[in-house]
Amino acid sequence: MRHDIRSFATAAALVLLASAPLGAQSFKTPWGDPDLQGTWTNQTLTPLERPAEFAGKPVLTEEEARAYEARLRQQNNADIRTPGTRRDVTVAYNDVWWDRGERIVADRRTSLIVDPADGRIPPMTPAGQARAAKARAANAAFGDNPAAPEDLDVYSRCIIRSALPRLSTGYNNNYEIVQTPGYVAILQEQIHDTRIIPVDGRPHLAGTVRQWLGDSRGRWEGDTLVVETTNFTDEARGSTFRDATRNMVLVERFRRVDAETIDYQFTVTDPDTWTRPWTVKMPWNKVDGLLYEYACHEGNYGLANTLRSARAAEKAAEQK
Amino acid sequence: MRLIFVSAIALFALCAAAAPGSAHHSFAGEFDVDKPIKLQGTITRVEWINPHAWIHIDVRKPDGTVESWAIEGGTPNTLYRRGITRDSIKSGMVINVDGYLARDGSKKANGRDLTLPDGRKLFLSGTGANEQPNQR
Amino acid sequence: MQMRVAGLSIALSTAMLATALGAAAPPAQGPPGAAPPRLQGKPNLSGIWQALTEANWDIRAHQARPGPPQFGALFAEPAGVGIVDGNEIPYQPWAAAKQKENFARRWELDPEAKCYMPGVPRATYMPFPFQIIQGTNKIVIAYAFASAGRLVHMDKVEDSPADNWMGWSRGRWDGDTLVVDVTSLIDQTWFDRAGNFHSEALHVIERYTPAGPNLIQYEATIEDPKVFTRPWTMAMPLHRRQERNAQLLEFQCVPFSEEMLYGQLRKGAN
Repeated sequence: MRHDIRSFATAAALVLLASAPLGAQSFKTPWGDPDLQGTWTNQTLTPLERPAEFAGKPVLTEEEARAYEARLRQQNNADIRTPGTRRDVTVAYNDVWWDRGERIVADRRTSLIVDPADGRIPPMTPAGQARAAKARAANAAFGDNPAAPEDLDVYSRCIIRSALPRLSTGYNNNYEIVQTPGYVAILQEQIHDTRIIPVDGRPHLAGTVRQWLGDSRGRWEGDTLVVETTNFTDEARGSTFRDATRNMVLVERFRRVDAETIDYQFTVTDPDTWTRPWTVKMPWNKVDGLLYEYACHEGNYGLANTLRSARAAEKAAEQK
Repeated sequence: MRLIFVSAIALFALCAAAAPGSAHHSFAGEFDVDKPIKLQGTITRVEWINPHAWIHIDVRKPDGTVESWAIEGGTPNTLYRRGITRDSIKSGMVINVDGYLARDGSKKANGRDLTLPDGRKLFLSGTGANEQPNQR
Repeated sequence: MQMRVAGLSIALSTAMLATALGAAAPPAQGPPGAAPPRLQGKPNLSGIWQALTEANWDIRAHQARPGPPQFGALFAEPAGVGIVDGNEIPYQPWAAAKQKENFARRWELDPEAKCYMPGVPRATYMPFPFQIIQGTNKIVIAYAFASAGRLVHMDKVEDSPADNWMGWSRGRWDGDTLVVDVTSLIDQTWFDRAGNFHSEALHVIERYTPAGPNLIQYEATIEDPKVFTRPWTMAMPLHRRQERNAQLLEFQCVPFSEEMLYGQLRKGAN
């Protein structure tokens, strides 16, 4: 009937308009989930907390941003020496070995923290402060001379680098996202870890099972992957995020903005550590390259060297 | 003026990414800030490994004897992303090491500043070198 | 009536449009552990898998052996019929002798004891699960042991700039078989606890062939002209872990190996 043909044409046009918003590109896997796949980096020069010099100034102008970037790149330039200082030892090598980033975040914010509005980590609870002080004291107690591997942190022991959520560090801030129906996998270059996130609604592991990278469960909210991670462990130095307890809850949100960008945010909640939850927003930018294997424990001469140095220092002190 | 920048703010900037409770790899536990050392040697082999590459060199002493030294570098993964390959430095090359001696008395140093005899930084010469890591 | 017709037309045209655009309806999600439907015209190998052989103790046929005596039967080694085709590893004469030396000192030398990444193919038949996540142009294989992992590149990639514990994997489909070509393997992994070994010239070609919803037939061809007189193959089935709550858990053994590696450097040890 002639009504059908006209209605069909109109309907088809309406469907086309509805499903393809003008100007937007749709990133979908063949099975219809939002597509986050690819090689990404979260490297950025923007600090976690808003520096004092930018108090009350959440965003920089273009001009300020470029000047700030130049200043940070200069400060980070490891070719600049300060011979005879502890800093010179800890910077450790020439700039060619480092990759601290070239740019601040594209929206020119002065901190990665977006909530609280002052861009600073909220105050710690008294319990949190006590725990942090205890950790500091334990560190200071052995100084440069750890008695045993477990005196050192998970980073030096090549267990994990570092606890979730991962901020950007001096190098190798690379991730590969691979998706299949029901799962999202995030490979982290350091230390060759694979975070496997089921998105099928199953419950978390029992509380008696703790993992170095916690236990992640994901769900799709429209175009956003929301990942909740719990079941962290506090069994080693540095195994929790910034002195948090094992009961911290991490919620991350991943949304594909365009071909080159994932809008990544996380919120951490731990009433035993911080007086309120806080939220970080930092983009993951596309990498034109690949992840390389980062075998750590297998080549960790540094740990043996550090222990050997500690024993040598003690022996020298005894003989005085 | 540059020194003021560096000493006043850089220390904070460097620590900005670190969580307060967990120390980085404790270089100061491995190498002695009070024992700077300068060496010149011939590369015998390179361990292109993580977490630190190790460059092994033979150092000829004034009395003619040869000592084997191990020089600690950074992660080779960053070099690969700059287009630097295992062929970029070869056995037989002469390099200068300006670093700090291992605290345990062994013939190890960290390669704080690695240069070629003509003063150019190591790795920043030759094909594909000195490329910036992936731009965004 | 015109509205109803229009509504029906919209529904029809949406479906037709979807079909025309080639958008597949999301595959039905069965219970966790169920075999997923084919993906992009190929078998979907995603899931948690595990070998059920005694190969990690010795890939050749072998009888039961004692473990360290102070642990009684706890760490004794079971017999196995082996996974090597022809039950022969074609060592060059010097290499056959070296394997015997490795065996004699295996509890001291086996990289597994140090929680070093096990390499390919050993990671496949260690008695622990691994998970395959098959994406659109990459396939992840994540192993529980030592959090070892591999990324199989189904797209064209450059050569690896380095030799790796878990090699460098390039995959392609041969019918319904996933073929993975593994190069750039370092020489420090073993094939098993019995000291069977290889050099840095090792080249492994793996074949993963689905043989039912919960079974993969796995085959690996081993080439290493520095150690063996010819290529040789091994084969075993891989079984899907079908527990309702099956999950790949961390087997982060680095801390467990520290006493063995660093115990003599502990304060007060000497």
